[in-house]
Amino acid sequence: MDNTLYVGLSRQMTLRRQLDIAANNMANVDTAGFKVEKLMLQTDPLSPSGVGAGSLLGPVKYVIDDGVARDFGQGGLERTGATYDVAIEGDGFFTVQTKDGPRFTRDGRFTVDAQNRLVTKAGDPVVDASGSGVTLDPQSSPPAIGKDGAVTQTDIHGQVNKVGKLSAVRFANLSGLKKEGDNLYSSPETPVAANDANIRQGMVERSNVSPMLEITSLIDITRAYERITQMMASNQDLSKSAVERLGRAA
Amino acid sequence: MRALRIAATGMAAQQLNVETISNNIANMNTVGFKKQRAEFQDLLYQNLSRPGAQSSDAGTVVPTGIQLGSGVKTGSIYRITEQGTMTKTDNKFDLAINGRGYFQIQLPSGDTGYTRAGNFSVNDQGQLCTVDGYLVQPQITIPQGSTDVTISKSGQVQASISGQTTPQIVGQLQLASFYNEAGLDAIGDNYFLQSGASGAAQTGAPNLNGMGGLLQGYTEASNVDAVTEITSLIVAQRAYEMNSKVVNAADQMLSATSQLKT
Repeated sequence: MDNTLYVGLSRQMTLRRQLDIAANNMANVDTAGFKVEKLMLQTDPLSPSGVGAGSLLGPVKYVIDDGVARDFGQGGLERTGATYDVAIEGDGFFTVQTKDGPRFTRDGRFTVDAQNRLVTKAGDPVVDASGSGVTLDPQSSPPAIGKDGAVTQTDIHGQVNKVGKLSAVRFANLSGLKKEGDNLYSSPETPVAANDANIRQGMVERSNVSPMLEITSLIDITRAYERITQMMASNQDLSKSAVERLGRAA
Repeated sequence: MRALRIAATGMAAQQLNVETISNNIANMNTVGFKKQRAEFQDLLYQNLSRPGAQSSDAGTVVPTGIQLGSGVKTGSIYRITEQGTMTKTDNKFDLAINGRGYFQIQLPSGDTGYTRAGNFSVNDQGQLCTVDGYLVQPQITIPQGSTDVTISKSGQVQASISGQTTPQIVGQLQLASFYNEAGLDAIGDNYFLQSGASGAAQTGAPNLNGMGGLLQGYTEASNVDAVTEITSLIVAQRAYEMNSKVVNAADQMLSATSQLKT
């Protein structure tokens, strides 16, 4: 009889976790380059089966979460016009050299530091596939960034000079990426250059969270939670009245 | 319930976003103002099951793992230093910088302030100063009895004096530029101070070595674009609402639990 309660509890626990993930998606609805996440559920493979072989009782199946899936779909590109805003159109990540090693990001809101290097807002240099950064020439025009990521500046004599390159990299196994916070990912895998991804200057990739879907899933989660709670409550009533009736017969 | 706290970070972030947008809108007509943008980043993730962890003795690995996010934080409030449009004023002491550079102002504290607001005047001694009366560096004094003042694109100040046929050169304006303009420290009244993030000021004559040229009789309008700001305001408001919905949902779930009969 108590199995109903335990099955209900396993669902309640996964629902709470689903809500946590939906809450994180919604908190990051305005975070550049954020990728929406969803909890994946499955039947707990360790669920105990019914008593005895050939028993009429089926196995009790609990629910368990076995992973978080990320949708790496393109977020909307918003035109900001800022010189150091860049977005990737297509698959790929920018590489950032942090003190903990290379990190990958879709958030291309860069800036320059006091040494005139192209850096993230945290001050970590942005590097290309081969690991070299971009240092700008302060005497020349603001940098122009081509679709292929080439960073060029026009000097005072009208000469166009290439000062560096931004490149997009990609991974064979996207689900192996680990989120590190600060819009950064880490990966145990060595990335390869993604030459078919376009780099767009003056654009920012918005979060790909769809508010409509999130609100719907929010309603889903609350209702499912209420339903399962209701079911647990009626199960309680059932066992209570069973005890009362059986008690009376004796 | 973690969702409550996560939604709270979302609401706090959107509140800050609205504050930044309202400051931009309030300064829409401030000469030389540069718009700001609140930038958000996701907070740390808690690893409940690490991607790549071994899931059996046979060497199978967890393909994705469970990483639970803990909300959003403000990474920075970034100043977008794009050029503002030039507004014609016909005032001979109004100067606009077309391109890179800042005017240098002697602040009463002794520091040098930097500004893009070139709506200058002259004081009772004929010295070029800001609307606060702070002197422009290097000092320019317009001689008494001048009938007209001309400031060239490259910053040369010439005064026509009655009774003289050729205008007299009375000074040369200098601009300062920084590697990282967005790193300047804003102190209000349109002034900035040099900071560790901006790098040291490099001074030079206007319209030379990458420095912007001067335009006399113009001021640089703020680079705030009303349409963009209003759109961002709508987005921020909706995002705030959505996060409050999450708080509601979490509250409903908690109340369902607490109403369970024992």
